[in-house]
Amino acid sequence: MRSVRFYLALWCAKLSVIALKVTGHRGTNFPGRIVLKICPDFLRRAGGPGKVLGVTGTNGKTTVVNLLISMLRADGKRVLENNQGSNTITGLCTAFIRDMTPGGKFRSEVAVLEIDERSSRVVFPMMAPDILLINNLTRDSIMRNGHPEYISRVLTRAMDPKTLLILNGDDLIASSVAPNNPRAYFGIESLEGDVKECINLVNDLQICPRCHSILEYTSRRYHHIGRAFCPECGFQSPKCDYLAMDADLENMTISVKTEKWTKVFRLLNDSVFNIYNVVAVVAFLGELGYGPDRIEELLEQTEIVGSRYGVEELDGFRIIRQMSKDRNALGSSRAFDYVSGQPGEKELILMMNNLSDAAVWSENVCWLYDCDFEFLNRDNIRNIVVTGPRARDYYLRLKFAGVDDDRISFVGDEIDAPSALRFYEGETIYVLYGTDSIDLADEVTEKIRERIRERSGKK
Amino acid sequence: MRIEVLFPEICNLYGDLANIRYLKLCLPEAEVVETNLQQKPRFLDGGIDLVYMGTTTEEGQRLALEQLMFYRGDILKSIEKGQRFLITGNAMELFGERIEEDGEEVLRGLGVFPGVARRSSVNRFNSLFVGEFPAEAGTSTEGDAGGSEPITVVGFKSQFGHMFSDEGDQGLDHLALFRAARGPGLNRYAKGEGIRINNFLATYVIGPLLILNPPLTRWFIRDFLGQTLDGLAFEEAAMDSYVNRVNEYTDPSTGLYYWGGTTERWQ
Repeated sequence: MRSVRFYLALWCAKLSVIALKVTGHRGTNFPGRIVLKICPDFLRRAGGPGKVLGVTGTNGKTTVVNLLISMLRADGKRVLENNQGSNTITGLCTAFIRDMTPGGKFRSEVAVLEIDERSSRVVFPMMAPDILLINNLTRDSIMRNGHPEYISRVLTRAMDPKTLLILNGDDLIASSVAPNNPRAYFGIESLEGDVKECINLVNDLQICPRCHSILEYTSRRYHHIGRAFCPECGFQSPKCDYLAMDADLENMTISVKTEKWTKVFRLLNDSVFNIYNVVAVVAFLGELGYGPDRIEELLEQTEIVGSRYGVEELDGFRIIRQMSKDRNALGSSRAFDYVSGQPGEKELILMMNNLSDAAVWSENVCWLYDCDFEFLNRDNIRNIVVTGPRARDYYLRLKFAGVDDDRISFVGDEIDAPSALRFYEGETIYVLYGTDSIDLADEVTEKIRERIRERSGKK
Repeated sequence: MRIEVLFPEICNLYGDLANIRYLKLCLPEAEVVETNLQQKPRFLDGGIDLVYMGTTTEEGQRLALEQLMFYRGDILKSIEKGQRFLITGNAMELFGERIEEDGEEVLRGLGVFPGVARRSSVNRFNSLFVGEFPAEAGTSTEGDAGGSEPITVVGFKSQFGHMFSDEGDQGLDHLALFRAARGPGLNRYAKGEGIRINNFLATYVIGPLLILNPPLTRWFIRDFLGQTLDGLAFEEAAMDSYVNRVNEYTDPSTGLYYWGGTTERWQ
């Protein structure tokens, strides 16, 4: 039921949107803060457009949401989204305010929302998604998220029983959320490089959730992501409704099989994370009632947004900027694994320092010891430049991983990090940066370009 | 030198197990054995020089306690006899009297010390920690005996619970492992951090405690474990990081608490 307070909140927030525009401020959460101050249950009273689709989980939320938005828009849908703002309740409110008319009507017919896992406990009781995709639940910020079992519990407690869940069936933590809700599972049958034993430091599901015996994995991508069974009680990973198979990384395709159809889809990136993201999106559209041919058409029209990954060539060098989430052991382990598996010689600049933490306290670096820095101990990684507020901690961690001193360079200030690069002929230079150092990574990349140009000039 | 790691399949959060990997690097001859939930802890039959258990989930606490409770009497006896333990993070809570959540007892502890862990799954507490360890206390003294040259210890806390006593908020201070110099002890009002009873050492400080604190680790290996030590693994890098961290954490302008995201303030 909408009240006078609801409309007052909406109008004040809308005025703030105009004020922000006029004064040239971004303030992506500010209207949401105003609305919640005046009307704390704004989301409940707002209702939503025709359908509310949510994506949550530890890694890949933004990519999946961007893919979904892009595909639904390609299908002609008017989509409300929060990908310009935060994924907490203030960001969601801001997205709603921007979409609503002053009379409180939604302009869009569908909402595609990235929802922070922890925020689910305040969001879901007010606005239950019709469909919610949980991509994975893995270790994340120690400070905010504790551990994935805790996040699974938070989600389960907050979940509306009518929400249809689309779950990663290869993740036994994600797939166990809200066991009584209707659900569909997606997964990947096997991939080149699958292992049975865990090669990562972090393995968050080692015991059977039913009888607590040690689980066995028939195939494992990384960490606890894979297909598992319990030799003692027979418990096993759920059967996938959308099962991907036959990944062809040369032709960048993967086949997805359901009860009704099997179809080959285009892959947008060859990293395992992004293969999961594509399969997740196929499952999501399948649950929305799209047929395989239409999903294929829509997928053909979309790309992974490049703010987290960029490649360029300059005078015989490749420069790759890759986000490697700070304070997220699993995200960074995936990035390290990917980088170390790429052919050719390389140098790395590690600048995943959390700058906002550095401004107010001192980053908790425990996550470095959950993260597989050991992947960086490879002969073809010739030089690793550690830099920024936590450079000493990275240095110590690399030593712990067995990396020789002559392959580590220490530079205090990020912007000076390119000065420690050695520029081996034909190499790739990776800039691995954190979530709040995107702009700084751009500056560092520009410095690398300058240094390459200087070298070419000298030649 | 044999080190037993208890329940590494569940007690493995926040980089805690790196402590054991580091000990192994410092003491290459040491043998590390892992005991899982289905097995009887080996130290109960002797031959173990150090028992280690790290941080776990709330469900992990329940499972670990379920197993340890079978051997409660023997565990208490072994601590009395001087078995060496290093317990980090919320694994310490298993050795207290009980664990309460939102005012109700959810788990009965082993009762090694009279502590009551009170947790709230809504309020996650995060802080830096600077403490002093009285190295001169030796290996057999109960509690914080004080020493002329205390060792500065730095680290992190990230937890749902805090430890209290039925005798009051500071009722466990006499058993403290560290004395808090900046940051809270076992709870907001306590100056004592951790528990030390004979050779049972436990602390809420999480993560790579031994890697980040070379002076403490030197004491731990030489004096506590009684091992010969030429030098710590990559000692120079560890000391450089340690000195920098001590300076950073003792600087009054460095914030001590983390209230980021949706973490609520200390109630």
